[in-house]
Parts: sequence; C-alpha cells; structure tokens
Amino acid sequence: MPDTAAYRLLSKPGEPAPVSVDAYQRQGGYVALRQAVTLTPGKVLDEIRTANLRGRGGAGVLTAEKMDLVARSAEAEKYLICNAYDADARSLISRTILAQRPHAVIEGMALAAYAIGASEAFLYLRGDKALAEIVTTALQEARDAGILGRGIFGSSFVFSITLAGAEMGFMGGEESTLIQILKGRPAKAQQRPPYPTEYGFADKPTIVQNVETLVNLPLIVARGGDAFRKQGTALTAGTKLFTVLDGNGGATLVEVPCGATIAEALRAAGLQVNESNARGVAVGGMEGGVLPLAQLSTPLDFEPVEDAGAIIGSGILEVLPRNTCLVHWTMERMRFLARESCGKCVPCRVGVKRMAGTLEGIESGVGAQGDLVLLEEFSHYVPDGSLCGFGVNAVRPVVTAMKYFADDFNAHLNGACPTGTCLPVRAHRYATKHVL
Amino acid sequence: MAITTRNDMATAPNGQPYERNEVGQPSFEVEIDGHKMRAYEGQTVLSVAVDNGILDIPNLCNDEKLEPTSACRMCLVEIEGAERPLPSCNTPAVPGMVVRTKSDRLKGIRRTNLEMILSDHNAYCQPPCQVGCPTHIDIPGYLELIAKGQNREAARLVKEVLPFPYILGLTCPAPCQEVCRRGLVEEEIAICRMHGFAAEQCMDDPPVPYVQEAPTGKRVAIVGAGPTGLTCAYYLALQGHYCKVFEMQPQAGGMLRYGIPEYRLQKDMIDKEFNGVWKLGVDAQYNVKLGEDFTIDDLFKEGFDAVFLAIGAWTSNELGLDGQDNPGVVNAISFLIEKTEGREQPVDDTKEVVVLGGGFTTFDCTRTSLRLGAKVHTVYRRGRKEMSATFEEVEDGENEGTDLQLFASASRIIFEGDKITGLEFQRMQLGEPDSSGRRRPVPVPGSEYVVPCDTIIPAYGQKPDKAVLPPESGVNWTKRQTIETDPFNFMTARDGVFAGGDCQIGAATIIEGVAQGKLASRAIDAYLRGDDMKAVSRRIESQERKPDLFDIVPYKPVEPKVKMPMLPYEDRKRNFRLIEMGYTQEQAEREAARCLQCACPAVGQCDLQKYSIEYNLEDNRFHDGEPEDYHDYEYDLSHSFILRDPNKCINCTQCVRVCHDVIGPNCYGMFGHGFDTIVSTPFNASLFSTDCVSCGACVQVCPTGSLMMAERELVRYDFALDRCIFCGDCVEVCPHGALGETPNFELSFYNRFGRDINIPMDDLARAPSFLVRQRVPRKKEDEPLGSNPLVRPLPARRIRE
Repeated sequence: MPDTAAYRLLSKPGEPAPVSVDAYQRQGGYVALRQAVTLTPGKVLDEIRTANLRGRGGAGVLTAEKMDLVARSAEAEKYLICNAYDADARSLISRTILAQRPHAVIEGMALAAYAIGASEAFLYLRGDKALAEIVTTALQEARDAGILGRGIFGSSFVFSITLAGAEMGFMGGEESTLIQILKGRPAKAQQRPPYPTEYGFADKPTIVQNVETLVNLPLIVARGGDAFRKQGTALTAGTKLFTVLDGNGGATLVEVPCGATIAEALRAAGLQVNESNARGVAVGGMEGGVLPLAQLSTPLDFEPVEDAGAIIGSGILEVLPRNTCLVHWTMERMRFLARESCGKCVPCRVGVKRMAGTLEGIESGVGAQGDLVLLEEFSHYVPDGSLCGFGVNAVRPVVTAMKYFADDFNAHLNGACPTGTCLPVRAHRYATKHVL
Repeated sequence: MAITTRNDMATAPNGQPYERNEVGQPSFEVEIDGHKMRAYEGQTVLSVAVDNGILDIPNLCNDEKLEPTSACRMCLVEIEGAERPLPSCNTPAVPGMVVRTKSDRLKGIRRTNLEMILSDHNAYCQPPCQVGCPTHIDIPGYLELIAKGQNREAARLVKEVLPFPYILGLTCPAPCQEVCRRGLVEEEIAICRMHGFAAEQCMDDPPVPYVQEAPTGKRVAIVGAGPTGLTCAYYLALQGHYCKVFEMQPQAGGMLRYGIPEYRLQKDMIDKEFNGVWKLGVDAQYNVKLGEDFTIDDLFKEGFDAVFLAIGAWTSNELGLDGQDNPGVVNAISFLIEKTEGREQPVDDTKEVVVLGGGFTTFDCTRTSLRLGAKVHTVYRRGRKEMSATFEEVEDGENEGTDLQLFASASRIIFEGDKITGLEFQRMQLGEPDSSGRRRPVPVPGSEYVVPCDTIIPAYGQKPDKAVLPPESGVNWTKRQTIETDPFNFMTARDGVFAGGDCQIGAATIIEGVAQGKLASRAIDAYLRGDDMKAVSRRIESQERKPDLFDIVPYKPVEPKVKMPMLPYEDRKRNFRLIEMGYTQEQAEREAARCLQCACPAVGQCDLQKYSIEYNLEDNRFHDGEPEDYHDYEYDLSHSFILRDPNKCINCTQCVRVCHDVIGPNCYGMFGHGFDTIVSTPFNASLFSTDCVSCGACVQVCPTGSLMMAERELVRYDFALDRCIFCGDCVEVCPHGALGETPNFELSFYNRFGRDINIPMDDLARAPSFLVRQRVPRKKEDEPLGSNPLVRPLPARRIRE
C-alpha cells in the first residue's frame, strides 16, 4: 500500500478527486487566486520566491527567477504556457494531475499569469481525447464561474486559457519545440539563447512552466511560502511526483517529499528492491541514467541525482529486473533516442544514431575494445555539440551504464552476454575507411 | 542579422548609456580571440567576428539574409561563462563578452560534425576513375550510355580523349579500376573492358568524336606509328592539320602490333580500329627509319611545319652477365617481333626457357613461349606485389603453366661448350626502400642455385634507341636516356620538334602513351596557330593538375561483378586464340549499370568538400554498417530547372528558409524525425506540384550539390519593354539582383549565364511588343523560345503615350 502521508498534489486513494469546480472550491480551491488579485503581482512573486519552488520540468530552475525575467520585461504582450505534455509517454504525472484536479492547474496558471503580467496562456498536452474532454469541461466551468475571462474576482485581471494538443513524440515536450508547434512551425528545437523568456511565442516573452510546478502555486499563495518550504529539503522545497515502473509492466504514481531517497520512493510505491529481484534503477525517464542498487540511498533532488549521473527528468523510476543486460538496455535507449531526436542538429541526429549503432555492434558480439573509447568520446561530443537539452542528456544512459556496469560491456566484448538474454541485431560493425 | 532585439538601446544591460559611433549606432566592446573589437547592438558574434576580419569560423547552415538556425554546429565558439560551446551565428553579442573561436575542443566538435555528416552523405565529389585515367575519359558518362544500350554514343564519348577504345579495352592495365569506388562496396567495375565492348559494337562504322575542322594547310610529320604517334595524328587531323606518319616497321601499330601477342589483341582488330585514323586523311610511309633513311632536317625541308617524335623504346635492357652474346640469350622485343612477323622462332617445344623480369613484356614472352610449347621458368628479383604486370596477368601465366620464381636474381650463365645449360640464381630479400620508394632487393649470401635451361629471355624493360637522334639533330637526351622536352608542352630543345610517349617518359603503359599523344596534339595545334609555348605549357599544366577530391564510402546494395568470360586454360595450349571472349550486350549493360556515377556537379563550390579538406578528414569511422545506418534516396529530376538529390542534403534548411522567408512560396520543409529527418517538399512531391516559382534561390543557397540548376536552353527572358514604366519594382524584388538599374536610367537586364544587355533609350521605343506575363509552354518543343512572340502581341505603342 503506497504511503500517502505526503500527498498534497495527488488525491489520496479512496478520496473523490475534486474534478468539478464546485468540488474544488469546497476543498478550498480558488482561495489563493481570490486572495492574489487583491495583492500586487510583485507580492505574489515574492511569495513564490520565499517558497523556494523549483521547476518540476526536469532542469530545476528556480521558478521565481524565471518568472521574474518575464515580469520585468518591458513588453506589454507576454505569454504563459503550461507544459502538460509528458514527453516520456510512460509518465503518469501530467495526465493524473489534469484528470484529478484540473482546476488546480487552472488556478496555478492564473496565479503565474497574474504574477508575470500575462493575460493569455496555453495549456499544452498530448493528444489524449478523454483528458482533453476533462480539461475542456473544466475550462468551460471556470469561464462560467467568472474565473477565466475579464474582471476576475472583481479585479481588472484578464486571463484566458487556450487548450492545445499535439502528438509529437518525445521532442513534443521540449520547451522550444512546443513553442514552435504552437507557432505552427515544424516541431524542431530552437537554439537558446535567446531564451523564451525574451523571445518565445509570437516572438514575445514567454514562460513555459511544467504542470506540476504550476499546480504547486495555489498551495504556496494560499498558505504562504514559508509553510510550503517546511516540506522538502533546503535545496528544493515541496513534494515531487514520480512514476514508478516495477519492470513487469506495472506503473504507480507516488508523491514524496523532495529529497526522499530512491529507496523511499520505491517503498512508497510498494516495491522492495534488492539484489534478488533487480539489477538497478533507471532514474529520469528515457534520457535518464541507470543507478546500481548501491546508489538507492541517493536523495531524489536535482543536484544529488545529477551528481550520480542521472536526472530527475520526466520523474520516472524504472526498476530493471534481475535478468536485464545493461548493454541491451543502453542500446534500446539509444535506438529510441535516435528515432525521437528532432533531427535538426548534426551531433544529435547522426551522433546518437552512431552511438546506437556502436552499441548494437557490442550487443551483437561484433564489438571491439575501441568501441568503448568511441562511446566515451561521443559522450562528450554529443552534449557539447548539440542544440538543445535533448542532446545534452541523450548520452546519460551510456555514461551511467558504462560507469556502473562496465562488467556487462566487457563480458559482451569477450563474446558472452552476462545474463544470456541478448540476441544479435546486426552483422556488421562500423569500419574505419580512408576516404580522402 | 535576423534576431529581433528589443528597441531599448538607450542603456546597456549594466545601466550605463551605450557608447555610440558617429552615426549614433550604440556600440560596445567585446573580445574575440584576444582582440578587443567594437560590436553594435543586435549583431551576432559571427557578424562581429566577420566585420573584424575573423573569417575562418566555418558554417554550413547560415546565410546573412536568413534567420539563423544553428543546425550544422560548425560555427560553435566558446563564450566565457557559458557551460557549453554556443553557435556564433545565433548568439547575440553583449557588452564585455569574451569569445574564443579556436580551441582543440571546438576543432574536435567541428571535425566530428563533418565526419557525422559524411557518414550519411551518399554521394561523391568527382569520379576517381576519371582522375586516375591518364587520358581522363568521362567514365561515368560512357558507362551510363552503355547501360542504356547506346554503345555507339559511348564509343564516341571515349574517342573524345582516346582514339582506340577497343585496343585499350584489351590491353590497358586500367589504372582507373584500381581506384574505382565500387570496390569499396564489393568489387570494382570492368571499366576498361566496357569501352572495348562499346567500340567493338561499332567497329565497322566507328564514330568520330566531333566534326573534323576544315583543312588549315599546316603539315605535321609524325615519327612512329605506335599508339602515341597515331593518337597525336588522330587529334591533329581532327583539328584540320595534315599529318603524315613515318614508321620503321612494315605495318602500323608499334608495340601494340609487335609487342603484344595475338592472344591478347588480334592484329586484324588493330587494323580495323586504325582505319579510323586513316579515314581522317592521315598518310603513312612504312619501312623508313629515323636516323637511317631520313633526319629531322629532311622533314622540315620537305615542308612540314612541325615534327612529333614518338619513336618508342625498342632496345631491350641487357642481361649484364658474361656470355650474354650467346645465341641462346634472346632479345625479348626481337622475340615478340619475330613471332608477329611469322619468322623462325628461337623457342619451340624442345626448349627450356627462362624469362627474367616482372613486367608486361616478361609475361608476354612467358606466355608466348608457353604457347610455342616450351617449358618456361619466369624469375623475378622482387615479390609479387612489386611486379608491374597486373595480378591477372601473373595469375594467367602461372595457370598456363609457367614456373614462377620470386626473389631470385640471375648471377651466372652456365655453359657446356658454347651451349647454355643453365642459369645460376641467387636468392634475394627486400632491403630498405630507396629514394623512389621501391624496396631494393639485396642478395642472400650462399643461396645460389641453378635452373636448367637452354634459352634465356631477359625482359627487364626497354629504352629508346639514342643513336637515331645524334646531337646535330638539335634534340637533347636526358640522363635517363629519354628525349628531353618541356614537361607539359612536349617541345624539345629544337623549335617545332615535339616528342612524347615511351621515348619521352621511358617505357611506360599504352594509356600513358596515348595521353601524351593527346596532350602533344594540343600543344602542336597551339604551336601551329602561333601561340606562346610558355603559356601553352602553363595551360596544360593547370588542366592536368590533380584536383582536391573528397570522397566518402558509398552505401549501395551489393551487385556482383559480371566476370569477363575467359578462354579455359586447357584451350589455350599451342594456339594464339584471344583469351578474353567478350561480353554479351546484356552482360555489358548489367556491368555498366553498376557504376555509382561518382560525379557531383557541385565540386569546387561545395562547402562540405571545402571544410572536409580544411579539417583534413581523411578517415571516416562509420562505414560498412547495416543498410539502416545510411540513406539511399531517389533523385527528383522532374522539375525543368531545379534538380534535387536528397542524398547530398545535409539538412541545413537554407532552402527551406529562403523559400519561406525571402521568396515566399514555402515549397520545402524538414520532414521526418530522428535519424530519418530530411529536407524535402510536402509528401516528397515534385517541385512542379508545389508553388515553386523556379526562382532558383534554393539552388543558390545550397551549400552542397543537393539542389542544382538544370542546364537550360533559355538564355534570356523577354520584357514587354513597351509597357515598362521604369518603376524599378522588378529590381527591388528580384532575389538575385538579376535585374539592375543603370545610372543613366536605362533598363538593363542580365541573364543567368553572364551575358548582359543594355538597351539604350532609343532602342526601347523599337522594342518588341511581348507580354511579360506569358505562359511558357510546358513542352519546350511546343514552341521555340526566343525570337517568336509567345503570346498575342499588344498593338504597338510608344513609350510615353
């Protein structure tokens, strides 16, 4: 049974989710917004700053700082985009939040928009019909209740939300790509700088916030930043959602305080992970790294996870079963990423493909010691050369697997799969040829 | 510069007012590569660098009139304070920025980028076969023609640079095939045999490469009717000069006829192919020898304007051992001549022969002796790799029955009375490479052994006969015993006397001789027209310079080589039947179709090629993978003006941006994702089906040869000049500056190929009355373009009516 003591964003199992506007308001919804419109935007922003809220989209940027950049901009036109896309399709975070409490998202968006001075926002999600219907209903309820539109709660605040859906694979969740999609341009990442905070949607300052970040704002504004900070660590306040995949097809969404260890998060999902049933845990989704069981005490916070080689990323904790060969796992990750890259910049489009091909060679028993040197070289080249965060993080599966599971690679190079599960996927390894 | 920046130029980010230049543009200081320079608000790092003379930041996807995209990652620079390198094309300069454009890390990233692009660049610069061929035949061209069944046209194309495609098809050592890029896929193409096949199909009615010029009245004497001499005569005759060939042997052909045995090349086919020369009006006189029957002075006295010496190399190098004058020691060349002439042979089935050497002549003597029934030993000082004969030649010799011995050098002839009974050899091993790079063999002491024999044929190579040109002829000899000429215009020390072929380079291959004959014909033609010979030398030198090529290994499906059907070894005994049985039409078409057509029209203008050479990308680590590691796209040649080859596309999206942002029709986009991303038209439709206006802007920005202009017939657009009001709108909107205003307010218009026309005001009044918005017929043959009005002419009006 999951431990639900920390739940603030998720509804506890058994409790009815406040899907309708009435239910939400009965649970204290829209109090924060009602209160905020009586304050200056600067005060709202100060509260968020006090709360020490960090973006849940994966990079962990201080939300208040990012909002401040847009708020200070002299441009009259500003935009807010709520990213509820779930780039890693296995993640349950956005869809669960939207399905359980869509009005919390609407309120969070309204608060953020009020703080930065935006009056238009996009709610951007994957093309999921059922979810879109829930959100459409919620938006209509909010409009009918006077929560969206002109003169919100008697103030002069004007705010509207446009629902946008896309099915653009992994890259559809990348910040600059989703702006391109909203602009009606090809879904390709854009170079930053210039950042969306100065040059985003309609070439105006735009803030892109993850749905999980925004859904925290009503809590912060209603109870105050100091109260919010009581949960979590000094580094990161509040709670964080994780999708825990048990490795056998089961997925559980859990909410743990920031800074809880991996093992605690797994326990919250009801999993007891040890040597007898797992080889490691992949942290961070498709671009995340794999950590051995010895690292299960790593706190789930941005910096410690990154120090270990993984990322918070899509917030996925995936238990790798006992019979996982890490060469195979890494190869599958790189094959996936080579397919999902937007294909714009050379290091990511071709570099990731060549890493995948080299790993295929190792898996198929045609690898050579030089392949590891090549992978090492490319684990610097691809992040250094790539255009967006996709390329920067794409090498994490390789880097962490080679760091923590070097034996698997050596076993393959010596002609045997450590778990006996790998099948050859290619007959030819890459060969060097003189071409000039 | 296309980055939008806010119009708040009043203060710099640090709150201080900007420093402004004399026209009020706010500026600030940045540091690039240790140099302090002024940058202006809104500039990118790249444009600051370019403005200040740092021109070596590479980039493949940037163009100043387009919004930067930063896809190629070539222009990355290191900016102090930034975590990772940033693209200079897209990064705005800010006050106090410190930038480094060169470092080992950047070089590594740029180099690997190029390697990545090229590892999926299914295209080629220039055909290495054509570069490798001394005569530079358009090999992809004629192979394509053969594959289409157009043998006669193929033979014509070859004859533009090589008059004897059939003969060379059988005898050329084929340097082209050694470098054939198909060999990187599986096996090289039978390039050489292919032009032989094409010429054979039209042997009775051979094509002439181009129309013969009218007679010029100039007369050229050519000494030697070998491949070099006849090639020179052929091209000079085509230029309209009268040529007469003087030959010491009773028949034409030189070494082709007398040196190459019947089983490699049949004499009647030589005669047939030489008919092409005589048909052009070339005369010949046989059985006359330079130095005995006539001299160079005699030729000039007879009224010749120029002399070309192609006397070949007919003196065999000597054995250099005691007793070499014994009749048992046979001169290799004489041996072959006597066989050709049908005279008595020193070799028959009672003899045991030792042939010495490792070249073509060695194996010609070996295999001729074998066919005459003798027991043959072929002995060479070095190893198989060092032999100048081709691998096939050596293999055939062994299979026909010779006893091949390597690393052995003849040291002593053993006599019994005055009869040779054997030859003593000493074992050799390869020593250090000498100055020419060849490893010299050194003897192994005490390794002597004897091969029993009664006939010895030393075939160590040949030299020209120095005696025919004494010093008073005015022609000098080099230390290597060859005729001294200018290396490119082939003129000897004596004005009007040229020399080429074996007598100028030393005994070499037929194709090198032909190449010299062809170049010498150009030089002689220029000489006869009175050109400065120094300039001619420079011109030929620049034509013959080896280009910088950059090629990558192709991905193409494996297509096995069509093997030449050969006469079985058992059928070769005691006869001189041609051993190559020839291709059938179907086989030839199949073999020719294997050509990868390694010819890119963008060579020399391609940025990818330029940077790859600059970054010295000699190796690529990602070849020979699985088919899914590479792309093999279809060409789109359906548009009349713009040809698309997506295999050469590097996804820089310059065409996408120029079409969308500058021109407007938005024909291109980036499609697919991941590794399969490619720039194409929607649904990969023909450009005809898009809103393409055929402006060609996409071709102009394409950094590689992915988008190319088709060759066009149209050289000029017609204007309704009588309707022009000189508004200049056309000048404003033309994306290429193809239209321009002239200072004196005349209308000027340029065509794409550089011819420009200015129409004076007076002529404008008489201008033809064509409509400018005319519908050009889809099929060119529907109506001739140019002089005829394409649409209803308007009634004639004066300009200012």
